Amino acid sequence: MQEISLKAEELFKIGTFSITNSLFLTFIVSLVLIFSAFLIHKRINIIPGKIQSILEMGMEWFLDLMSSTLGSVKMAERYFPLIATIFIFIMVSNLLGIFPGVGSFTIENGSHKVSLFRSPAADLNFTLAFAVISVVVTNVLGAMAVGFFPHISKFINFKDPIKFFIGILEIVSEVAKIISLSFRLFGNVFAGEVLLTIVFFLSPYFVPLPFLFLEIFVGVIQAFLFAMLTLVSISLHTAISEH
Amino acid sequence: MEEGGIIGQLGIDWKLFLSQAFNFFILLIILRAFVYKPLLKVIKKRSDVIKEGLEKALEADNRLKEVDIIAKNKLKEADQESIHIIKNTEQKAKQLEQALRTKLEEHQKELMNQAELSYERQLQEAKQNVLKNTSEIVKKLFIKVVELKPESIDEALIEKAVNSVKNEAK
Repeated sequence: MQEISLKAEELFKIGTFSITNSLFLTFIVSLVLIFSAFLIHKRINIIPGKIQSILEMGMEWFLDLMSSTLGSVKMAERYFPLIATIFIFIMVSNLLGIFPGVGSFTIENGSHKVSLFRSPAADLNFTLAFAVISVVVTNVLGAMAVGFFPHISKFINFKDPIKFFIGILEIVSEVAKIISLSFRLFGNVFAGEVLLTIVFFLSPYFVPLPFLFLEIFVGVIQAFLFAMLTLVSISLHTAISEH
Repeated sequence: MEEGGIIGQLGIDWKLFLSQAFNFFILLIILRAFVYKPLLKVIKKRSDVIKEGLEKALEADNRLKEVDIIAKNKLKEADQESIHIIKNTEQKAKQLEQALRTKLEEHQKELMNQAELSYERQLQEAKQNVLKNTSEIVKKLFIKVVELKPESIDEALIEKAVNSVKNEAK
């Protein structure tokens, strides 16, 4: 049985920068998505093909969902790239992480075997980076929507003690948001990886199948949840700033 | 406890964290430039084309209805005009017939008058001829009657007889 480690394992080093197995899969996911983006870009036409039709359907569904949350199509179109990229990146990372065979590649690193690929979301650096991006970008967009000072006055306000206290609570809530977003995703994906590793070890044939489907479902749901929470956060920040 | 405390245990490394964030932004820029924007543009363009097509179809439909109404009105007008023309023509034909009939009657009357005049003239001429020869005929008659005594022919008597004939002829 493979060793279960909470943190991503180092594969090799480039100077002082260590490349971990989760970062390695993140690069592969990025390359796959970039390559797909170029392929899609080449085939974009006013009369859509099958792939373009599916993409457009998904896109329109997502835009409708965003419009109903944000309250306007224009805002949905403005924030669509961020939300869609978060969803696609996390979803593809999760799916590639549990792709059959991915866990089989191992390399010798010193005295022990290290898995070549690890689901990016099973590394806290990945989920934390996404959570920080989500919270920072959300606040930046909120500030851009109504101006810097009206937005910052939500966090730092000396006008009266209640508002000051509410400001502190807001800061705490933003930090809690980072922790909650990152640990929810990390916990779900890491737990899934551990579960699959144990089930594959106990019974490699047929038994892992339901768990694999469950993990596919969890991977998609977690990606969607992360994107939706970011969207709701954007909606709240831009809406609160308007009052 | 591992190096770096809880953060070290969880494997949080600021370099890895930044590289993940950098990765995300690179992907965001590429997907935005090569997928989202062109796809949104195409969707918008297509919806514009569809909208324009629908508007044009609606406009064409309305125009067709208008043309249909105009055609119906024109047909109605043409129908009414044709009825009017036929009525006018019938009326004119009747007037023309009446005029021709009147003209014909007048012509007929004129011909009758001319015929009467001609008859009268011929009659007069015949009478004149008769009168012209009457004295001679009467003379010859008297000669035949009094063949034996030509000296007994009284010119005055002949004249009287001729005048009497003339008066009768008149």
